[in-house]
Amino acid sequence: MTRDDLRALTGTMTFRWTLAIATGFTAMALMLFAFIYWQTAVRERNRIDGIVLTESRSIAEAPAADAARRLEDWLLEDLHEVRYGALFAPDGARVTGNILTLPSGLSPDGLAHRAEVGPLARDRDGDTNEVVRGVARWLPDGRLLVLGYDIDALDEVQEVILRALGLSVVPALLLSLVAGAVLARRGQRRIAAVHEAVGRIVHGDLRERLPVHGTSDNLDKVAAAVNGMLDQIEQLVEEVRGVSDSIAHDLRTPLTRVRTRLERGRDEARTRAEFQAMADRAIGSVDQALAIVSAVLRIGEIEHGRRRAAFAPVDLAGVLRDATELYEPVAEEKAVVLRLQLPEPGATAGPMVSGDRDLLLEAVGNLLDNAIKFTPPDTDVTLSLHTQPGEVRLCVADHGPGIPVAERDRVLQRFYRTEKSRTVAGSGLGLSLVAAVVSLHGFRLLIGGKEPGCTVEVACRIP
Amino acid sequence: MTRLLVIEDDAEMAEEVTGYFRGRGYEVDCAMTGPDGLALAQAGSADLLVVDRMLPGLDGLAVIEALRAVGIRTPALVLSALDGVDERVRGLRAGGDDYLGKPFALAELAARVEALLRRPANEPETVLRVGPLELDLVARTAWRGKRQLDLLPREFRLLEYMMRRVGQTATRAMLFEDVWSYRFTPKSNLVDVHMGRLRRKLDAAGEPELLSNVRGIGFVLEAPL
Repeated sequence: MTRDDLRALTGTMTFRWTLAIATGFTAMALMLFAFIYWQTAVRERNRIDGIVLTESRSIAEAPAADAARRLEDWLLEDLHEVRYGALFAPDGARVTGNILTLPSGLSPDGLAHRAEVGPLARDRDGDTNEVVRGVARWLPDGRLLVLGYDIDALDEVQEVILRALGLSVVPALLLSLVAGAVLARRGQRRIAAVHEAVGRIVHGDLRERLPVHGTSDNLDKVAAAVNGMLDQIEQLVEEVRGVSDSIAHDLRTPLTRVRTRLERGRDEARTRAEFQAMADRAIGSVDQALAIVSAVLRIGEIEHGRRRAAFAPVDLAGVLRDATELYEPVAEEKAVVLRLQLPEPGATAGPMVSGDRDLLLEAVGNLLDNAIKFTPPDTDVTLSLHTQPGEVRLCVADHGPGIPVAERDRVLQRFYRTEKSRTVAGSGLGLSLVAAVVSLHGFRLLIGGKEPGCTVEVACRIP
Repeated sequence: MTRLLVIEDDAEMAEEVTGYFRGRGYEVDCAMTGPDGLALAQAGSADLLVVDRMLPGLDGLAVIEALRAVGIRTPALVLSALDGVDERVRGLRAGGDDYLGKPFALAELAARVEALLRRPANEPETVLRVGPLELDLVARTAWRGKRQLDLLPREFRLLEYMMRRVGQTATRAMLFEDVWSYRFTPKSNLVDVHMGRLRRKLDAAGEPELLSNVRGIGFVLEAPL
């Protein structure tokens, strides 16, 4: 691992968090141990103080002649070699005991103090002094009694606690640092994998997906969400690619015709009438191309959603009546019977929806146009309205070839036409426009029907 | 002679439009920018303005608004590549009298110019007469000579529209906008189908045709000679 790798690792969020938690944990442990130490030390000191104070009191209260013997006995009973004591004459000369000189820092007030005593009579380490809890008090006969008790025990407590601290906190700290580094490294590796995948996507490979580990942790959830988004984007891009191909293809056909017509007109027309006939046909083809362009722009305009601002209550039955009136002659010309079925035929106003009346009429018109176009002569096309709780269903049913189940989603895409319908004139944008209008309104489009026969339903929410 | 003022910044387009109208016997002035157009229009010799929406210097709608603000009511037809419904509404609200989205057929433009120039005075007539046709707007009855015509309400309105514009071409788009009041243009043969029906009702066997197609663009009602 290079220095840069290390820096990257320690810079990760995971590592920083681990570090912060480990630091906090250590601080807590230190505080806890400090408390334990403090409590234990105080207790031990009190015990020692008790020993020296009790003994000094009992010597002081004994008859003066017994003092020296009692002190000597106390010192003799010392199995752990922790007791120090001496009796000094009023002039400061030592009477008895293992402390050779009067300790200078111990005030003779009969209270326990931390003090240094020495040199000592039975000193094993040369003439070094001992740190003790000591007491000095005057005996009634004017002699000074000095008692001391070794506080090495206190140091031992400190040592034990420090050792415990070292044994628990230091490994815990190290362990958490290692764990943090491992976690951070793992996270880093996953992030790097995501990074690489994103890089490939950015470079145009839309089939690439972010790695998912199946652990359903946060990173996995994010990756799954992003993958869902990528699916959608891939589909949209495919669609757009398909659309631009289709537009180009569908435009090339009429434009090629225009070209050949103009060419032939220029070369072959001998009279003005012949030339005009050619020009008319060329104009017809250009109009066809323009109609495709307009339809594409129009669908774009609808999909943009600006018109939602102008939504108003619309009487669906009225829209259906108008559409029927508009298309009835077309149906008649093709010997198709156009039927209109309304829930309450006589009512002045049927179910109301919120929408753009012109767009709804245009959409219904497109559906009728398709139905009339595809249904065989001498059959009927039925336009009906069914009210259901919460929604109204507008249904256009015909006896045409229908749309195969597999193709039902695709017919809503721009320019998609079933193979069977390729021979029928049209821009292939009729249903796309319907789909755009339906989605602008937040309605749903349902394509059903058995072959032969096709039903297209629009489920409209009632506000 | 009728005088048109075309305000259009695209030189080729302006050339086509002015040439076309000159060929049809109009006198045509042309301005390439908004301010120039406004100045020419204010001079006041034009009978009708054809104004492109996107103009350098001053937007086409602003030109019309400026004219209306000083009381010049010369009819104005707005041409625009912006063919959304909102755009159309905005154009008419600014004081335009008609709105035509690009691309358009020159014949469509000509029919609309003609219609604006000969806008029927909305006289409170109760009976319209054209040749043998008689339309009683109060009784809602239609006659050709002695024969009463059985018309659906829409057909009645279609006939009324045509009779108010005898000899003028009504384009499919105009009919959709004015008779059906649809602001979209459905499949092109729809109007033809409706018109065909009306025509069959008007003309009994042997009678001269009153309604005729204007090639590729629309219809015209003419009294038989």
